[in-house]
Amino acid sequence: MTRTMSFIEGTGRITLNAIEEVGYHFALFVESLYWVIAGPFLGQPVRIPIIVSEMMKIGVLAVPVVMLLSFSNGVMMAIQGIATLQEFDAESQVVPGIAYSVTREFGVLIAAIVVAGRSGSAIAARIGSMQMSQEVDALRVMGIEPVRHLVAPILLAMLLMMPILTLLADSAALIGGGLYTGIVLKLSLSTFIDRVFETIALYDLMQGVVKSLVFGLLIALIACSNGFSVHGGSEGLGRATTRSVVLSIAAIVVADMIFTYFLNR
Amino acid sequence: MEYEIEEIKGYAIVHLKGDVDLSRSPFARKAILDCLQERKDVLVDLTAVTYIDSSGVASLVEGFQVSRRMSLDFALIGVSDAAMSVLQLARLDQVFPIFASLDARIAHTERRT
Amino acid sequence: MNSQPIIEIRELDAYYGDRKILDQIDLQVNEGEIMVVMGGSGSGKSTLLRHLLSLNRPSAGTIRLFGQDINGLPSRKLHEMRQRIGVSFQGGALFNSLNVEENVAFPLREHTKLDDNTIRIMARMKLEVVNLAGFEKLMPSQLSGGMIKRAALARAIVMDPKLLFFDEPSAGLDPVVSADLDELILRLRDAMGVTIVVVTHELESAFRIADRITVLDRGKILITGTTREVKESDNSRVQNLLNRRTEDVPVNADEYLQRLTDDLTGL
Repeated sequence: MTRTMSFIEGTGRITLNAIEEVGYHFALFVESLYWVIAGPFLGQPVRIPIIVSEMMKIGVLAVPVVMLLSFSNGVMMAIQGIATLQEFDAESQVVPGIAYSVTREFGVLIAAIVVAGRSGSAIAARIGSMQMSQEVDALRVMGIEPVRHLVAPILLAMLLMMPILTLLADSAALIGGGLYTGIVLKLSLSTFIDRVFETIALYDLMQGVVKSLVFGLLIALIACSNGFSVHGGSEGLGRATTRSVVLSIAAIVVADMIFTYFLNR
Repeated sequence: MEYEIEEIKGYAIVHLKGDVDLSRSPFARKAILDCLQERKDVLVDLTAVTYIDSSGVASLVEGFQVSRRMSLDFALIGVSDAAMSVLQLARLDQVFPIFASLDARIAHTERRT
Repeated sequence: MNSQPIIEIRELDAYYGDRKILDQIDLQVNEGEIMVVMGGSGSGKSTLLRHLLSLNRPSAGTIRLFGQDINGLPSRKLHEMRQRIGVSFQGGALFNSLNVEENVAFPLREHTKLDDNTIRIMARMKLEVVNLAGFEKLMPSQLSGGMIKRAALARAIVMDPKLLFFDEPSAGLDPVVSADLDELILRLRDAMGVTIVVVTHELESAFRIADRITVLDRGKILITGTTREVKESDNSRVQNLLNRRTEDVPVNADEYLQRLTDDLTGL
């Protein structure tokens, strides 16, 4: 009896905490948006040089890894696709298969997971250590809103860079898939690309891009809020960093599933 | 808000007045630098200054440095006690040539030559 | 000059969870005064400071700075007020990604449209004031404890504040460096006429710089008065604090035993 009670109680507490956390993320989002729009009129603009430096850290530096992973992913999809389709004598259908799944699904997913791993941890660690050393308090008492100064630039950089990374990931994966298909099915890369563009429409590319915006938002908010909530010394910092990466990847995959369900009905 | 500039005996005298603070020091800076650009010897008169903050003092420092680079004369006159204590805090009272008045400045130059 | 206190705290209560940290705090700080808030750890002095900086919201009571209730102020007004206030944090809280000069210049870059030359001269002037000339280009991680405190002080005074807060200025410093810093605090008040609030547990430093001292103990003010009044106080708790005696709390045998054996099995 007491065990069921404590189970129910425990579940209730976890649910409450989760709702509270989602609420906090939402508040952080609204507040960032507020500073982006109203900041310039209140003498608290979101600084462009900071946005650019965040874009560099979040986006540009992630390009090599994103390209490498996407390229490999394209090759793997071609290998698996051809192997599977051979059983139905339909290996030439591998091209639309790759084209659809890369643009709608895997390009954005790889880009998001790389960014979550790289920047999700880095942002949480940076904000967390600023929180611990009272730098966040220092900003506040100087009359500089930490959300405006720290969160808003990250959010904007994320929203600007994620679509670009996604399109880069798409093209790397298609090139990877195209090269392998070309070697095995004696198809030139240009023919492959032509057939890709016959298959996909702008809608498919946009599906990836729209998702990339949502994923970028999730990563930024989860990383920042975990950074701000750091307490309990360096152990707490490590916990927040790990939590930030795990939570953002989980959020990305679940959000992706929900998206895919609604966009492909 | 412009500061009054008076030319007497070869000096351009910049009369600062009121509160020379964050909002007003850019005007003081411009007035001083403009005079120096015209290759004039500059005296900054602080007699009517009620308050000067570090941005005002920074403008004086910049003017002094520019005058030295251009081999022009630069001095402060009519420094009040309040202004003096701001200068003293950063030991700038030992850096600027400070005189009671224009006449004191001229007397000083004549004594040297 | 004594028309209106710079700081006016009325009946301030603060809780962390269910625990009452501050209990009915009343305090006034006048213009140009150095007020030292003294107390041991757990006295509530850090919490009081966080409330004065508007980093925490009080459970009850009001805090007025420059005559304005900081918790009833629209955020824009609060931002403006904060530009007239400088804070030197215990650990310095310098921005680790910026060098010393950039740290000191940071508030000016954020809040003013001054010329770049003016900003840099101002920052270096403040570094001269705190005797850190020549260290402009160092990063915070390359500074010693005393240098960090002085750089933080330079940043706190770069906007020529009218009100300056120090959190444990002498904590972690050797006596000579600490005495230098106290000297600097006195010079700043004399030259800039700034009102200063120092939160500390260091007796020596407190008596060196204070005009008035307020002694905080377990969330309550024991006494507020001039250094002499505090020294001559006949309150035993004040005297215990001044003489660094720990207090003997009478033992309640039943409760004590209960605390030691609570929750144990088989008892």
